[in-house]
Order: sequence, then structure tokens, then C-alpha cells
Amino acid sequence: MNDPRLVTMADVITGYSLRLGEGDVVLIGGPAVAEPLLVELTRAVLERGAVPRVRVTLDGLDRAFLTRASDAQLDWLPPYALDEMETIAARITVHGSCNTRELANVDPAAIARRSSAARPVLERFMQRSAAGELRWCVTAFPCDAFAQDSDMSLTDYENFVYSAAWLDAPDPIAAWTSFGVRMTELAELMGGVRTLRVLTEDTDLTVGVAGRTWIPAKGDRNFPDGEVFTGPIETETEGHVRFSFPAAIGGREVRDIRLRFERGRVVAGEAASGQEYLRQMLAMDDGASVLGEFAIGTNYAVKQFTKQVLFDEKIGGTCHMAVGAGYPDTGSTNTSALHWDMVCDLRSGGEIQADGEPIFRDGRFLPSFFAHPLDPPAG
Amino acid sequence: MFGAVPDLRLTKLAEVLCRYSLEVSEGDLVLVEGPALAQPLMLELVKTITDLGAHPMVRPSLESVEAMMMTRSSLAQLDTVTRLDEIEVEMPTRMLSIWANRNTRYLSGAPDQNLARRSAATRPLFERAIEREAAGETRWCGTAYPCHAAAQDAGMSLAEWEDFVFAAGHLLDADPIAFWRKQSRHQAAIAERLSKLTELRIVAENTDLTVNVGGRSWLNADGRQNFPDGEIYTSPLHTETRGTIGFSFDAAFNGRDVCGVRLWFEDGRVVREEAERGVEYLRQMLDQDEGARYLGEVAFGLNDEIQSATRDTLFDEKIGGTCHVALGMAFPEAGGTNRSGLHWDMVCDLRSAGDVYGDGELIFSRGRFL
Repeated sequence: MNDPRLVTMADVITGYSLRLGEGDVVLIGGPAVAEPLLVELTRAVLERGAVPRVRVTLDGLDRAFLTRASDAQLDWLPPYALDEMETIAARITVHGSCNTRELANVDPAAIARRSSAARPVLERFMQRSAAGELRWCVTAFPCDAFAQDSDMSLTDYENFVYSAAWLDAPDPIAAWTSFGVRMTELAELMGGVRTLRVLTEDTDLTVGVAGRTWIPAKGDRNFPDGEVFTGPIETETEGHVRFSFPAAIGGREVRDIRLRFERGRVVAGEAASGQEYLRQMLAMDDGASVLGEFAIGTNYAVKQFTKQVLFDEKIGGTCHMAVGAGYPDTGSTNTSALHWDMVCDLRSGGEIQADGEPIFRDGRFLPSFFAHPLDPPAG
Repeated sequence: MFGAVPDLRLTKLAEVLCRYSLEVSEGDLVLVEGPALAQPLMLELVKTITDLGAHPMVRPSLESVEAMMMTRSSLAQLDTVTRLDEIEVEMPTRMLSIWANRNTRYLSGAPDQNLARRSAATRPLFERAIEREAAGETRWCGTAYPCHAAAQDAGMSLAEWEDFVFAAGHLLDADPIAFWRKQSRHQAAIAERLSKLTELRIVAENTDLTVNVGGRSWLNADGRQNFPDGEIYTSPLHTETRGTIGFSFDAAFNGRDVCGVRLWFEDGRVVREEAERGVEYLRQMLDQDEGARYLGEVAFGLNDEIQSATRDTLFDEKIGGTCHVALGMAFPEAGGTNRSGLHWDMVCDLRSAGDVYGDGELIFSRGRFL
């Protein structure tokens, strides 16, 4: 018998996040360690009359390939990859791992090379998503490796994940639906802003967002969720930013990243650890040193940093930005094989100004800008 | 060295599968499918496939997910064949199935009709794979990966079962590939002799069966399509079988135990069947279609490393010194014409008191070709 919260999670993802209907072909991808969630998702997809196909991954195989593959093998895009992307109506990606450092000592150039090869698939994915043809949701299964990165026992980490997803609430779907209404209003308000300025310790960054679309992330594409995001104007980011939380990608942790932008592009990047990796990632392709996303985290049930971007970027009172590919539905035109989210904590002393006016201070929107509470439901 | 090291026998198994069975070469797209618990073998395969310049496409499965699919799917969902399913049979230039289970009875809660329905829906995929294989566009091999569930069915510890499986594949030999090449030549020579015969008469305990194999081709199962392997087989003229045969080993078919089976044939057809256990299931299987009561295969096991029955047909049918027949579907490539949804192999032990006559002459006695 699975944890009842896991059963509910699968019901919310299939019923609320993806609104699956009869005949939808749903590709569910996730590691074998997430088996209980993969099974529940299969059940929930079937109950909605949709057609699940489960793609299981195993720790260890990726590393074996990446450490041995020639350039030709890394560059090779399987002939079926685009075909698969065309055929599915929805995709659920379950994050989980036996060891989050599995790829820690793999040559970053090999990882980057394979990502570049898969770029047509990522681009087609984003196009179909923007056109409303493909729904998708990224979620996470509480596993030991993630718990360990968060300095928690598995039980404590399970409680963290399920409370971040409001699965203890009497009616989680109702809670997410009403949160969605408020987030939609917030996104509309943000749509009127031309320039944002982020101020906090070692940070004074200006981001141009005029004419770009703000998207309320309300539990549909990520679960759990809670952010409002856009794609900044590619040439207008100016200033410097320091990311207080370590940014993990590809099994590596890069600490204390500081970036300086001029005319939209990173002109200087430093990190207390992992600087070489940072440099390689930013040099991956032309779009890798340009912001593809700017966002504000609004899930106030997520309070602590856990080294999983899915959760960290949602922490109520933080902002984050991603270098690399932007989402076309925000109006972003930046393309890259990279999409690397970095989180900046604004909860003590941080401020966001919109066209010169403060709208957000110490982790909360100011009532003068947005008066509705974004607090999670009582458990 | 301290800690987990890969079982060298698995490394060798991956080598034999890639270099001998499938002959993987640069640029091949190699599908590897099997249960997630076979991760250690999958890992060795990814290494070997990548080293050979080919592209691994690994599709691990979970019994829990499959059981959920087979239990909860509606008829419409069971009938759906998606593009994702088609890709798996249309694209790979090499296909490897790994056979292992967490629990060999994992589908026991799924209704029989659901399994049959899904099997019917995916038949075009199966046929497409066979077609591509016949056209030389792809090659397929199925291999056993030693796991607790099969060990349990065989009445062994996992360590003993591993020793057995790896020995059956001759993976302890200094050069397993050299062994299989030699075994292949040995089997081909026997097949060559058998192909000159018209009538085979098998005489053993509870058994006096005559089958007509005149003009049929004997095929050499030498580790390329099954691993481990070791048999030669053909499809008899299915309306000419007569006599009786008693099977020696308990067998699990689709997770159901059937023991002590005896069959009586007239004009090729099973006219009477008995079983000490599972006779109802046996009867249902035989009555599923017209071809199910006729033989689709007659074969000799030639793997001398396999000595005792395991309740797993992959191994039992290869025991050196046994013969087996299969009810149902015949092999067109052997010249067989019987058609059925069934193909059920049953093994008859000839090692202690079995003789085989070819056109009246003794050609095989006590488990050995003369």
C-alpha cells in the first residue's frame, strides 16, 4: 500500500495539472527508484481513460555511456526522438535518484555535447507546448538521495515534499485551483511592468520585461509549484547578481555564483566552487549566457533550500533566473541547449522595484501592488 | 579492492551477446529491454555497446507498472498501439530481451482475457519485428539474467542459480565465443544428418511417438537468438504424428504449474490428454484453436552443461540428452505449416532409458547421438 499522499499526488497531477482526457497518450518518465509514484501515475492515467507509457531510467547507465562515448556517439540524435515528441499529448517527468552525484565526475563537455545534439527535440517540445498541443508536468519522488542532499531523514523529506504540494490539505485540488486564480491575477499585474530591478546583498540587476508575457505557474507544469515567470528581453539585462543558494545541475554543485550582465549577456561569471564548470556551461552555445527566464517564487509552504531546483525556485520570497533557453510562450526568443535556474533569496532585506516603484520587499509582495494572500492552505 | 565490483561473468555475458549473438557493429541502434532488476547486466551492455561504436537504447520495465496496466486497462486502452510502441520494433537494428523476474507470478492478478487482448493488439508489432528480422534489417536475441524469482522456481539459492546460468552459457570458459562457435559446428553436423531422415521414432518411459520430418529443415540454435542455447529443432509434418509421449519435468507455463502431462496422437492430432496436475488449464490451452492440438516443433537439447530441470523452458528444453516437442505454432523457416496462438514446449528426458530411431535405425540412445 502506497502512502495515501502519493496516491493523491498522482490524482492531482493527472486530474488538475494535466487535465488528462480519453485517449491522450502520456509518456511518464522517471527512475526505477521512483517506482511507487510511477505505479500510482499509471493507475491515475488509466482511470482518466488516457494511455500511459512508462519510460524507466536506471542510475549508472548514463554515466557508463557518457564516459565512453565518442563525439560521434554524443552528437547522434536517435531517429525516433523527434518522432516521439510529435506523438505524445502529455509528458510527466518524475525526478528522483539513487545518487545525485552520479554524473559528478563526468566531463561536462560530454554532457554539453549530448545536450546540444538533443536541442532540436527540446525546441520542438517547447514549440508544441507553446501551441498548447503538448501538456507536461515535472514532479519529484521523495527518495533517499534527495533527502540526504537536504540533510533530512527520508521520513522528514517525504513530509517536506508532500507539504510543499499541499497534499495534507483537506482538498488539494481546490487549494491549487484557488491559488491558480490568485496567481493568474498576479501574472496580469506583472504584465504591465516594463523594467524590473532586483536589489539585495551584492545584487543590483535590471531586467527588461516590457511586452513579455508573465505566466502563472500554478501547479500545471511543475508539481508542486508556485512561481510567476517570464522571458526577459534578451538584450536588456544589466548589472550584477549573486545567487545565495548553490546551483546544482548535471550532478554538480556550483556555489555562490556571481554574474555580471551587460546588454543582456553575461560578461563575467565567478563561483566559489565549480567555476570551471560554470564557464563551460555558459560557453555551451550562443544563448547560454543570456537569460531565458526571470521568476519570483510564491510557494510559501516551501521554506528551506534542498538543492532540488524544482523546490528551491518555488520558495516563497525568492527570485530566480535561468541562463539559456527561454519559453517561447513568454515571448522569449532565446534558444540554447542549456536551461539553468539559479535562485536568489530576497527574504531578508531584498527588494524588487517595478519601473522605479517597490513592489516586493523582504520576500512578500507589497499590498500596494498585490493585496491577495498567497499563503498555502492550512494542513 | 573493496566494495561492489561487477560480476565478471556479467561482463563476459555482455561481450558474448554483443560480439557473438547480435554481432553489434558501429552505428547500430541496440534496443535492450528487460526488468529494472537486470540493471547490472544492462550496465555491462551499455559499456560494450558504446565501446563498439553503437547506440544503446535501454528500456527497463517494472513488473508493478505492467501489472497495473494489465489489471486496470479498459478494452480500449488494451487495444491501443501508440507510435511509441511502433518505434521500438521499427527503429532498432539490434534487439535484446533480458528475461528475469522479481516474481514470476506477477501477473497472476490480471484477468486472462486482458492478457490475451493485449497480446492480440500487439501482434502486428510482433509480426513487424519478425518481418524485419527476416529481411535482415534487425537481429533479435533473448537472454536469461539470473534472479531470485527464477532461482526460487528452480529450487536453488541465487548463488547456485547464477553458477548454473553462467555455466550453461559457458561464460566460465576462457573463451566463451570460441566455445559457441565450436558448439555451432557440432550442432550443424547433427542437423545435417537429421535432415536426411523422414521418420523419427522416440521410445522412452510412457513414450512411443512417431513424427514425420521428411523434407523439413533442422535449424541450429547456437546462442544467436537465445542465450544460453544449445538445441536443434524443426517443425514436423503436423498431420502425421502418431503414438504417445509422456513429459518428464514439471513445467510452469504462463505462471501456471502443469505436471505429469501425457498426450496421445492420431493423424497428428492430440486425441487424449492427461496431467497429474493442471489438466484443466492444459485442456483450455489445447482447445484455444485448431492448431493447438498439433505439433509445431520437435527438437533435441544439446547443452551438456544443463543437467537438471529448472521449471524454466529456456533451460529445460536445452538439457543435453532430452528431446522436446511443442504444441501449436510451427516455424515457417523450418517448413512448418501448423498455425496457432499457442507454442508450448514440453520436454521428454531420454538420458536414462531413451532411444530414437531414424527411418527404423537406432540413431540416439541414452541421451547421445550414436
